[in-house]
Amino acid sequence: MDNVVEIKHLQKRFGKFQALKDVTFNVQAGEVFGFIGPNGAGKSTTIRTILGILRSSGGSATVFGQNVWSNAVSIHKRLAYVPGDVYLWPNLTGGEVIDLFLKLNSQKHSARTDELIKKFDLDTSKKCRTYSKGNRQKVALIAAFSSDAELYIFDEPTSGLDPLMEEVFQDEVLALKNDGKSVLLSSHILSEVERMCDRIGIIREGTIIETGTLDEMRQLSRTVVTVTTKQPVASLETMDGVHNFDAKSANKAVFSVDSEKLNQIISAVSNLEIVGLQSTPPTLEDLFLRYYNQEGDSHDGE
Amino acid sequence: MMANRFANVGRLTRMNLRRDWLKIVVWIAVLAGMMAGAAGKFDSLYGSKASMNSIVTTLKTPAMVSLLGPFTANKPYTVAVIYGAEMVVFMGLIAAMMNIYFAIHATRSEEDDGVTEYVLAHGVGRQSPLLASVGELVFINLVAGVIEVIGIQAASMSGTTANGSWLFGIGLAAFGFMFGMVSLLTAQIFNNARSATIWSYLVLGITFVARMVTDIQNPDYTWWTVYGWIEKLNLYNGNNWGPVLLILAMSIVILAVTVGISATRDIGAGLIAQRDGRNKASVFLRGPLTLLMRIDRVSFAVWFASLFVLGAMYGSIFGTIGNLMKTNPTIAQLLSSGAVSSANRAIVMSFANKLSLVFAVVATIPILITIFRINGDERKGYLEMMHAKPISRGKMFFSYSIHAMVVGTGTLFLAVLGMAVVGNASMKSPVLVSRFLRSFIAFWPAILIAGGVAALLVALWPRIQTVAWIVPVYGIFSLYFGPLVKLPKSLQQVSPYGWINNVPTKQIQWDTFWWMTLLGMVLFIIGYLVYRHRDLIEN
Repeated sequence: MDNVVEIKHLQKRFGKFQALKDVTFNVQAGEVFGFIGPNGAGKSTTIRTILGILRSSGGSATVFGQNVWSNAVSIHKRLAYVPGDVYLWPNLTGGEVIDLFLKLNSQKHSARTDELIKKFDLDTSKKCRTYSKGNRQKVALIAAFSSDAELYIFDEPTSGLDPLMEEVFQDEVLALKNDGKSVLLSSHILSEVERMCDRIGIIREGTIIETGTLDEMRQLSRTVVTVTTKQPVASLETMDGVHNFDAKSANKAVFSVDSEKLNQIISAVSNLEIVGLQSTPPTLEDLFLRYYNQEGDSHDGE
Repeated sequence: MMANRFANVGRLTRMNLRRDWLKIVVWIAVLAGMMAGAAGKFDSLYGSKASMNSIVTTLKTPAMVSLLGPFTANKPYTVAVIYGAEMVVFMGLIAAMMNIYFAIHATRSEEDDGVTEYVLAHGVGRQSPLLASVGELVFINLVAGVIEVIGIQAASMSGTTANGSWLFGIGLAAFGFMFGMVSLLTAQIFNNARSATIWSYLVLGITFVARMVTDIQNPDYTWWTVYGWIEKLNLYNGNNWGPVLLILAMSIVILAVTVGISATRDIGAGLIAQRDGRNKASVFLRGPLTLLMRIDRVSFAVWFASLFVLGAMYGSIFGTIGNLMKTNPTIAQLLSSGAVSSANRAIVMSFANKLSLVFAVVATIPILITIFRINGDERKGYLEMMHAKPISRGKMFFSYSIHAMVVGTGTLFLAVLGMAVVGNASMKSPVLVSRFLRSFIAFWPAILIAGGVAALLVALWPRIQTVAWIVPVYGIFSLYFGPLVKLPKSLQQVSPYGWINNVPTKQIQWDTFWWMTLLGMVLFIIGYLVYRHRDLIEN
């Protein structure tokens, strides 16, 4: 598959501060790529470098196979971007800004634009000065969704939206995906990423520490298992691959299991005569917390 | 009840002072430095009888009266009297500008940035931020006033009296404070810092020009112009404290109105409600340049209109100035009528030259403000999405630059035109308008160079970009006041405004015009090359 975005060992220094140390990931054509990490990890810096707003200090970054710095204009013709903090000219109306942004990409206010304005429930005749954060985000989102681009970059786009609008946003992103568009979505809302993204990259302190599909990541992680057995469960606690063992009673326990050890553990459990068994795949939140709690080396996540 | 409105004023005042201390120090150093520096120099300038008589004659000419106020002191003159007459109107202008800056900065700018909302969420009274800004202004003006007095006294110019120096220092402090109050009022009326600043300056400009006109016609009417109160102090001569009381009374009245308005309005809102706008953009709004024009259309109109009016106001006194029969009948009687009319014309032309300099410096102001916004708008985050559009760095940079030069050029042109048209109407024997327009063409490259310096700093050194203000400030100082303080010719000609010959009396020097234009363009281009290669400033 073609890579729309290709980033290799990207670095960015601000004076002495190394904001990006080693960022490597690709966004493939037609996929939604989730970019997650805590505040200050370098998500926005990475995106601004991809947009040619910041100049990289090392490594390489290309979009559509073109260098992000020297070919910024021709790249920008084919992408749409919504920043995390949207600031708009205070004395223009929302409607004027939407139209301006469309025109700057050589596109027009279309029926689709009107449809989006309606969906996002925005009053376009108000001056941007009077908009709340959520309304400013809507302006940027409407402009982005109604422009016909190949790559859409969203940097925490829903931080100011209410749950209803977040739903609209997710529907629109899924619609883009169905149309075969590529999306780079940086987000804090992990359920959103879990629902929409094909692949995920996790960044911490300026370094990408993991990329892959959610399934692949789950393989690397643990499943939470709740068992009730006829015979006592205590013997399971010491088995290799069992973590966070919590005996609710002599015959019931909750624990997590390394995915690669799942087979052995389940056989051991069945020897104890299973009465009840529940397993929960790790949520992205579990994965996220696990990666973030490890200080360099891996030790137990929650 | 009182706590609800005014809790924690003291703490907020201290916080304001701590936030602004560096700016306060710089402003006060400039104010007091100019006062003390001039005071230290004046004895050597005007110590002799002959030089004193000649400066008094100069100060009584309409050109000087229009800018510095009438010279009304009684004999015997002392150096201190000359000092007071020469300095007071101009220093009043600087003091007012300082107060406008801090007043808006401490109120409406904070509100624009959302800081006020956050502050008010704490145990702070609703009107505490306003009162804290009053406290800050009182502090700044008092400290500035006292330091000025110390500076003047230390210079021990002949004729200085403690009473006169204190009157100068305190009078200036009160005068500045009054315009600070005007700004606090505009900050309540308008819902953004830019409009509030523009209107503060309009009030300042209108009162200044009004006093100019009344000073030329009849100084008694100047009492009605408010601005003129500062010149009625009669420093080191009559030492009249009355106007200081008048100024303070006016300040209190304005402050009372301001507090009243601020009590009724919502945070973030102005007195004038925000109207709804259009649902769709006009066909005109389609790129960075037209975007800037759309955003600035009101302030453009204000600049154009006010500079045309300023030019027209000056033009309206040409008839009086260019009339030797009135201004100097003894000389006029010695000349033939033809010689009188050519002498009249020469006076008007040389006055027009000084005015053109003033216009060029004023036209530089919107240029610099606009060019600084390349970084300013970026810091505010307005440009992040623009930069993600297919717009090159160059297009962005030159859109701002061209936009700046359009407003500057229009401003300069309209000021000269206003002067020419109204001036001709007021004179008995008019001059061709095209002759006045020589000033416009000749001074234009100077504003281009000033803009170029700003553009270069914007690209190269954003943190200290405002240093570019030195170009117009030094320009007006060296050329208008340089001759008064006998600044060496070479130093008068350091600024680009000083490279221009005596238009419209003389012909335009085209070689100077072209190389200055070239230099200005080169500055812009170097600025662009640097801008293209650096990170943008994002919040």
